[in-house]
Amino acid sequence: MRIVAKSLKTKLSGRTVLHGIDIEVAPGSVVGLLGPNGAGKSTLLRALAGQISSEGVVGLGERSLASLSLAERGRLIAYLPQERTIGWPLSVEKLVGLGRLPWRAFGKGLSAGDIAFCRAAMEEMDVAHLADRPATELSGGEQARVLAARAIAQDTPVLLADEPASGLDPAHQMTMMAALRRLAAGKRRAVLVSLHDLTLAARWCDRIVMLKDGAVAAEGTPAETMTAETLRAVFGITAWIDRDDCGLVLAPTGLAGTP
Amino acid sequence: MVRAVDRCGFGPRRRPARFAALLFTLLAAPAAAESTLPRVMSLNVCTDQLVLALAEPGQILSLSALADDPDLSFHSAIAAAYPKNRGLAEEVFLARPDIVVTGTYSLHNTTQLLRHIGTRVETFDYAQTLESVPGAVRRMGAILGREARAETIAEAYEAELAALSSPPAADAAAAIIYEQNGVVLGSGTLADSVLKAAGFRNLAAERGYEGMVPYPLELLVRDRPDLVLLASPFPGAPSLADQLVEHPAIASLKSLRRKGIAPRGSWSCAGPFTLEAVRALKALREEMAAGGEG
Amino acid sequence: MNALRLSGLLILLVLMLFIGSLLIGPAALDPIAGMKGLFAGGEEAAIIIMREVRLPRALLGLIVGFSLGIAGAALQGFLRNPLAEPGLIGVSATASLGAVAIFYSGLAGSSMLALPAGALAGALVAVLIILAIAAGNTTTLTLILAGVALSSLSGALTSLALNLSPNPFASYEIIFWLLGSMKDRSMVHVWLSLPLMAAGWALILASSRALDALTFGEATAASLGTNLPRARLSIVCGVALAVGAGTAVTGAIGFIGLVVPHLIRPLTDRMPSSLLMPSGLGGAALLLAADIAARIVVPSRELNVGVLTALIGAPFFLWLVARTRREAI
Repeated sequence: MRIVAKSLKTKLSGRTVLHGIDIEVAPGSVVGLLGPNGAGKSTLLRALAGQISSEGVVGLGERSLASLSLAERGRLIAYLPQERTIGWPLSVEKLVGLGRLPWRAFGKGLSAGDIAFCRAAMEEMDVAHLADRPATELSGGEQARVLAARAIAQDTPVLLADEPASGLDPAHQMTMMAALRRLAAGKRRAVLVSLHDLTLAARWCDRIVMLKDGAVAAEGTPAETMTAETLRAVFGITAWIDRDDCGLVLAPTGLAGTP
Repeated sequence: MVRAVDRCGFGPRRRPARFAALLFTLLAAPAAAESTLPRVMSLNVCTDQLVLALAEPGQILSLSALADDPDLSFHSAIAAAYPKNRGLAEEVFLARPDIVVTGTYSLHNTTQLLRHIGTRVETFDYAQTLESVPGAVRRMGAILGREARAETIAEAYEAELAALSSPPAADAAAAIIYEQNGVVLGSGTLADSVLKAAGFRNLAAERGYEGMVPYPLELLVRDRPDLVLLASPFPGAPSLADQLVEHPAIASLKSLRRKGIAPRGSWSCAGPFTLEAVRALKALREEMAAGGEG
Repeated sequence: MNALRLSGLLILLVLMLFIGSLLIGPAALDPIAGMKGLFAGGEEAAIIIMREVRLPRALLGLIVGFSLGIAGAALQGFLRNPLAEPGLIGVSATASLGAVAIFYSGLAGSSMLALPAGALAGALVAVLIILAIAAGNTTTLTLILAGVALSSLSGALTSLALNLSPNPFASYEIIFWLLGSMKDRSMVHVWLSLPLMAAGWALILASSRALDALTFGEATAASLGTNLPRARLSIVCGVALAVGAGTAVTGAIGFIGLVVPHLIRPLTDRMPSSLLMPSGLGGAALLLAADIAARIVVPSRELNVGVLTALIGAPFFLWLVARTRREAI
C-alpha cells in the first residue's frame, strides 16, 4: 500500500514545523528520512501516523488517513517512536504480542496465527532467544530490537520508524535495516525510516528524502541525493564519498566553511 | 419546683455558637451587689445551674456560653439575662471576679493558669449522680455565702428524692440509653442513677459498662432491652453520629423512645431539677407496665 | 502463576475471609446459629445481627476492597507508575472532602444520597487534577508530591468543614473521613454504593486493552488503535466512581490500592490488564482481613480499619520508595 502526503503543514505550539511537505513511499520500498536535528523528521513521521493534526492530505492507497478509524489505522500503519518506553517488566514475548492488539477482538487472547507473526518478528529482530526475559532487564539495544519486533508483528502495509537504528551496535544496525528491507521486498510493505547514519541510509534505502527546516531539501535515489553539495547544504558538512560493490560509503570529514 | 445545683453532666460538649451575646461579656456586668457577697464567674454549664439556683442576681458576673442552650441548661431561660463567657483566662482577668467556679474536667489549662495568678477557683467533680446533688448544693452555697438557701434547697431535694425513688426489682424492665455513635451511659453516670430511681434496670451498667462508652450494636440487638432511649438528632446540621440511630437494626427493637421524653436539659447536668427527669421516666415505666409493654 | 489458578485461589481466600467476617462480632453467636440466621431464619436477634449488622459490613469490605484494589491497578497501569494509588494521589481524601462538604452543610437535608454525590464529585476533581499534572511523562516524584499536596489540602478543608458544622458531633467524625471505618454500616450503604462501584469496575475493565497498549507510552498506544481520550475518560470516571462511592460509605481507606497490585503483579504475566481482576480480589481479601483484625486486635475496643491499612501500607510504601530510588525509575 502506498502512502502519499501532499503539501503537509504542521504547527507545534504555534510554530510551523512542516512547510508543505510532499512525500511518497511506494509499496516494496524503504525510504530513508535524513536531516539535521530539528529539521522535522519526527514531526513528519508523527503526522503521517495521524498522531498530530496537520493540514494537507495523507493518502493510504485509495483512502485518506483522515477517513480511517483509529482501529483501522492500527491495522494499516505501524509506528515505532524514537522514545523507547517499556512500562512494565513484561516478557519479551508478551511485549511483542501487544503488536497484535489491532487485530484482536476485545477480550480475546492471541490466536495461533498471532503467535506465529510474533515468532517471525522476533526472529527478524534477533530477539527470539530473549523471549522469556523481562524486557525491562535488557540492554538499550536489545530493547530497541524488541520494540521494533513489536512494530513488525503489527503486520501493517505501512511502517513508520523513527531512528530505529540509533544506539544499536553495527551488526544489529544492519540486522535492523536488513529486516526492514526484507519486509519491503518480501511483503510489499511501504517503509519510511528516519536515520542519522549516512552510510546506513545510503546502502540500505531505496530512496532518500532530506529535510531541512521543515521542507524537502532533496529527494531521489541515494546516488542522486547523497552528494557533496546536498550534504553541505542540508547538514553543513563536508564528507568523503566513495563507492564499493554494494553502494555508497560516506564519512563526514569536517564542518562546511571551516578550512 | 426545687431549684438547681451541681455540676457538669454527660451531654456532648457543645460549641459556643452565640458570638453576639459574647461580645457584651466585658461590658454588661450587672450592678454589683451592695452586699459583701462574693462576685462569681461560672465557666461551666453545670456550675451555671448551681449558681443560678443559689446566687443573688447581683453576684453573678457571667455564665458559660452554654448556659443559653436549652438542651444542656435547664435554667436557660433565667440564664438569658446574664452576660456569657467563653471560658478564657483573659475574660476572667478583665472581669476580676472574687471566685471562679468550673468543672474539674473542662478547661483544665485555664484553671491552672487562673490559680497560678492567684484567682480563687472552685472546681466541681465531673462524675455526678442524683446522690451527689445535695453535697454539691451545700458546697456551692458555702462558696457563694448563701448557706441558708442552699440548706433549704438540699433538704427539700432529699425529701422529694426519697419520696419519688423506687429502686428497680430484679425483674424490672431493662432500659438502655443509646446516644450518638452508639455511646451508652453506664454505671456512675447521672443517667444511670436517674434510670434506677425511676425503677428501671440500666442494661449498660449491668453489662459492666462504666461512664460514657461505646456499646456494640450487636449486643443491643441481642439483648433486646425493654426500653431504648435514643438521642434526638441535632436539628438542621446532619452528622453520621446522628444517623446511627436510623440503622435498620435499631429500628427492629421494641420500645424505642427519644431521650427527649424528659424535660429539656433536665438530666444533662445534675441538679434539683433532675427530679423532673426521674418523674418523666417513672411515668413512662408505669405506662409501659399498664400497656403490657414492659 | 496461571491466571485462572491465581483468580481461583484469590476467590477462595476472599470467600474464607468473607465468612470469617460474618462470624466475628461481640454478640458471640455460634457459627451455626449465625448462618441459620443469615439464610434460613430462626431466632429474631440472630437474624437481625446477621442480616442487618454483619452482612452489610462484610459486603462493604468485599466491594470497597475490590474497588480500591482494581482502581489502584488501573491507575498504576494508566500512569505507568507503580506508586500511583487512589489514597496517595489524593483521590480518597478529596472524595471525603466532597462528601463532607455536601453532607454536613445540610444542603441535601440529612439525605444519605448526599454522601455518594459529594464523594463522586470530589473524586472526579482529584483524578482530573492528577491527570492534568501527570499529562505526558511525569516522574514518580511529581506525582507523589502532587498527591501529598492534594491530600493535605483536602484533609485540611475536611477538618475545616467539620469544625464549622454546628452539630457538636461533626468534629469527632474527622477521624472517620480521614481513616475510614466499616463499623455499624447498614444495607442502605451497600445499596447506595454498589451500583456506582459496579459501574466504575465496568469502565475500568473496559479500558484493559488501552492499559496494555500504554505499556509503550501514549504515542505507540495510539498507533495500536487505542482511543486515548476515551481511555482517559473511562479511567477517570471508573476510578472516581469506584473510589468515590466507597469513600462515601466507609471514609478514606488508604494503601490497599498500592499494596495489593504490588503483591499480585509478580504472580501474573505483568500485563496491566491481567492485574485488574486479581487486584480487585486481592483488595477485597486485604480489606476483609484488615476489618477482622480491626475488631479483634484490641479486645472490647474497635479500631478504625483505615488505621490498620495505613499501618500495613505506609511502611510498605517507604520500602517501595527506597527500592524505586535505588532502581532510579
